[in-house]
Amino acid sequence: MRAISRRSLLCSAAAAATLMPIPLLAEVAGQRIVSLDYGLASTLLSLDLTPVGISDLADWGKWVVEPAVPASVSDIGSAYEVDFEVLIQLKPDVILTTPYLDELLPKLRPIAKVLRFEIFTPDSGPILPSVMAATRKLGSELGRDREAERFLARADEFFETCRTRLTARNTPPVALVTFMDARHARIYSAPGLFHNALERIGVKNAWTRQSNYWGFETIGMEELSAITDPAARLIAFDPVPPDVLPKLAESPLWQRLPFSRPGHLTIAPPALMFGMVNEAMRFAGLVTDILEKDA
Amino acid sequence: MTALRRDNLGPALVVCCLLVAGCIISWLLTAPALSASKSSGYDVQSMVLYYSTLPRLATALLAGGALALSGALFQQVLRNPLADPTTLGVSAGANLAIVVVSLFLPGLLGAGRDVVALCGSAAAAAVVIGLGARRGFSPYSLVLCGLVLSLWCGGLSAILTYLNQRYLASLFIWGAGSLAQQSWAIPVSLVWKMAIIAIICAVVIRPLSLLDLGESGSTALGVKLARLRMVVVACAVGLAAFVTSAVGVIGFIGLVGPTLARLAGARRPAQVIVWSTLIGAGLLFVADGTLQLAAGGLGDFLPTGAVTAIFGSPLLLALLPRLKVRHRIQQVQGRPSASRWNMKVSIVVASAVLIILLALGFFVGRGPGGGWTVLSGEYFNEILAIRSPKVVAALASGAMLAVAGVVLQRLTGNEMASPEVLGISAGATFGVAIALFAVAPGFSGQLIFAVGGAITVLAVILLGARRSQFAPERVLLAGIALSAMVDAVVGVLSSTGDPRAVLLMRWMSGSTYLVDGTTATTEIMIAAVLIMIALLARRWLDILPLGPAPAAAVGLPLASSRLALFGLAGFMTAAATLTVGPLSFVGLMGPHLAREAGLTRALPQIAGAALIGGGLMVAADFVGRTIAAPYQIPAGLVSALIGAPFLMILLSKRA
Repeated sequence: MRAISRRSLLCSAAAAATLMPIPLLAEVAGQRIVSLDYGLASTLLSLDLTPVGISDLADWGKWVVEPAVPASVSDIGSAYEVDFEVLIQLKPDVILTTPYLDELLPKLRPIAKVLRFEIFTPDSGPILPSVMAATRKLGSELGRDREAERFLARADEFFETCRTRLTARNTPPVALVTFMDARHARIYSAPGLFHNALERIGVKNAWTRQSNYWGFETIGMEELSAITDPAARLIAFDPVPPDVLPKLAESPLWQRLPFSRPGHLTIAPPALMFGMVNEAMRFAGLVTDILEKDA
Repeated sequence: MTALRRDNLGPALVVCCLLVAGCIISWLLTAPALSASKSSGYDVQSMVLYYSTLPRLATALLAGGALALSGALFQQVLRNPLADPTTLGVSAGANLAIVVVSLFLPGLLGAGRDVVALCGSAAAAAVVIGLGARRGFSPYSLVLCGLVLSLWCGGLSAILTYLNQRYLASLFIWGAGSLAQQSWAIPVSLVWKMAIIAIICAVVIRPLSLLDLGESGSTALGVKLARLRMVVVACAVGLAAFVTSAVGVIGFIGLVGPTLARLAGARRPAQVIVWSTLIGAGLLFVADGTLQLAAGGLGDFLPTGAVTAIFGSPLLLALLPRLKVRHRIQQVQGRPSASRWNMKVSIVVASAVLIILLALGFFVGRGPGGGWTVLSGEYFNEILAIRSPKVVAALASGAMLAVAGVVLQRLTGNEMASPEVLGISAGATFGVAIALFAVAPGFSGQLIFAVGGAITVLAVILLGARRSQFAPERVLLAGIALSAMVDAVVGVLSSTGDPRAVLLMRWMSGSTYLVDGTTATTEIMIAAVLIMIALLARRWLDILPLGPAPAAAVGLPLASSRLALFGLAGFMTAAATLTVGPLSFVGLMGPHLAREAGLTRALPQIAGAALIGGGLMVAADFVGRTIAAPYQIPAGLVSALIGAPFLMILLSKRA
């Protein structure tokens, strides 16, 4: 038998490719996509599209964690200082970006088609519906409408499971923070992603004041005393700066808050507030686990 | 007795004024909380008053006093009016140690934060004072070493922080100390540490005063010099370390406190030490109170360390003309070691190294996944189009800075003169800042403002020089103050979150990231023209260092030639600062290295400095682009990191 040469193999592969049924957008299957945003990157992964490059990939495990990024994905440097040498060599067809990186647009456009997603804008309203809409838009732009719908249905199902896991219990209201230093924290509320996800799983946000359009507000630790419900819980997300907890332990400002009682503060693994549907799901899962464990 | 009273009256007045101002400010800060009706339970206003506002005021008093005491001790024992924890690099050393430990060995920080800070500042003091000792404690080389070390530590901690927490990056060099408090723990611990050191000081204050008699005089009176110096330096280092460990780097209080005390009339060492402690306490008290009042809710996030530099440096500038000139610097000498190296060999070697570095810069990089690649094949043109503007701009700026350094050193007869040290780069950055915030940016517009800023600083130096005959200490101090002020202003601006401040920060750190083809072409053309002009002025540059009389004797138009050369240096600095920022130190390294290689006459020194400066900057840019790829480290910071240890080795060699 004649050995199959590489050339003949390639020829037959090419022939087979031309014979295959053509999808709506023929080039989609082989599209090389680069994402300059964590939320868009994780959404891509959930649409069964593996990007070739993600910005700030080195810190993925510190902020996004889930879903895991395949080893084939390259880091293209900080989103604000993209390494264009690497970017060019990745031969992207599509680059996903956000309004925050508009100053890069003139340099990105010659390289590939740029898709710009506005999620966190002053008039975007509640974030969860807006990221769901962005997911649909991403799906349709990349010819993955069906996958997008399936993913959103999966997300809905997940939120529903969380809600039913918690309805049986008498869940306390929770306040969500990230510690900035021993005196200050970012607290999350409406219209943010975390607040929406909390509502979706039927948990009350203990912090009722509206925040900026990203969904957070920077407060002094003492302002947490505005939360009067004695049952309220405080969930602080990693990363917690190294010297915050020891300093809080010796601070009367903290010591006299109801949250300083044992069991009222939980340090949760990281969850990204500037994310999309995946990040909301991760957040909901983390909160459900925490509340289920203590209730 | 009356004389003694007069000596004390001035400083006492200053302290009173500061305390009264401080008390008024504190009253304004605390009045709303004090007058509010007390509610039961968790009363936010009174809680904040008792556990945040009041501890912060106490910390400001204590930290200010400790830093000023530390500065006064350093100044007395080193007999150097410019010494303080900031200018000797002691605070920066402590800060770097804390940053390194918190990133790599966070477990150590819990119990041993002070110990870590002490190790860092002791190491910094050992390096600086060790190098200073070799050069007979010349005040300028001491402070130069200290400042270089300060910059180096600051740059390194900035890079380390940046690489590890990109989201929290802030590129402060001089000061990021924050006095925000949440309990009495820090002020209380500072009190007893300061008390111990104050007792030691009280014991050594008498023998310390005898140091004014000179070495032989004080030894004759039974002072054990070496031991005394050791104890006092240890106290001063300890104070700086404790403050840095508690609140971070608070710039220049240790310099301003004793300076004010002396200007107000304190003369004897004991007076200076006591009064500067009180003045320092008052200063930080007022500065921090004002900051809190002015900034309102933002006050907790504005780094007080940067704000003290904004307060402190103009004060210093204003006081400079009154500062007694106590030291003179040696003129630059034709060095005997020149014969060691053949001039031609030096130039050839420098050119060869530059060519190798350029080749590296153009053709070596890192691909996707981080592997090292030599440029070839498919993407040759595209990648070269990305890289070459950066390499070319780095080359042009490095060469211009180095030549500007040569010109300035020859003009001022000050071997430490350089665009960075004289504050000319800082002036250019100020210009850029004004351009960014007041007018729409654009390369040519920024260049005009940068030149304006640089020329303004030069004009101030020239005007001051007319009266003081270029007293180097005055020029040097003014330059330091200006650089610190620029960094502080940028720091404060960036903590307000203005997006334009991010651009400015990028400049400060010397990033070539935004350089495009047009900018690079303009830069290299400006560099070529200006360096050519400098080469044409070689006769002036050879004759001017000989002094005004010989220069006039050979028919040199003294005033106009000086003016022209200063203008040239200003223009070169401004153009270079646009791409590599004000902190690169290439303007100091280039001329020194060229002279070290035996290039002592103007023409070869300019050529050599241009080659070496350009090479250094190209190397810095290459390292910055590749070492953490795909993340970029600003070339200006890298060059400060490469250059600073190099320069210190150089200084140590010429004992």
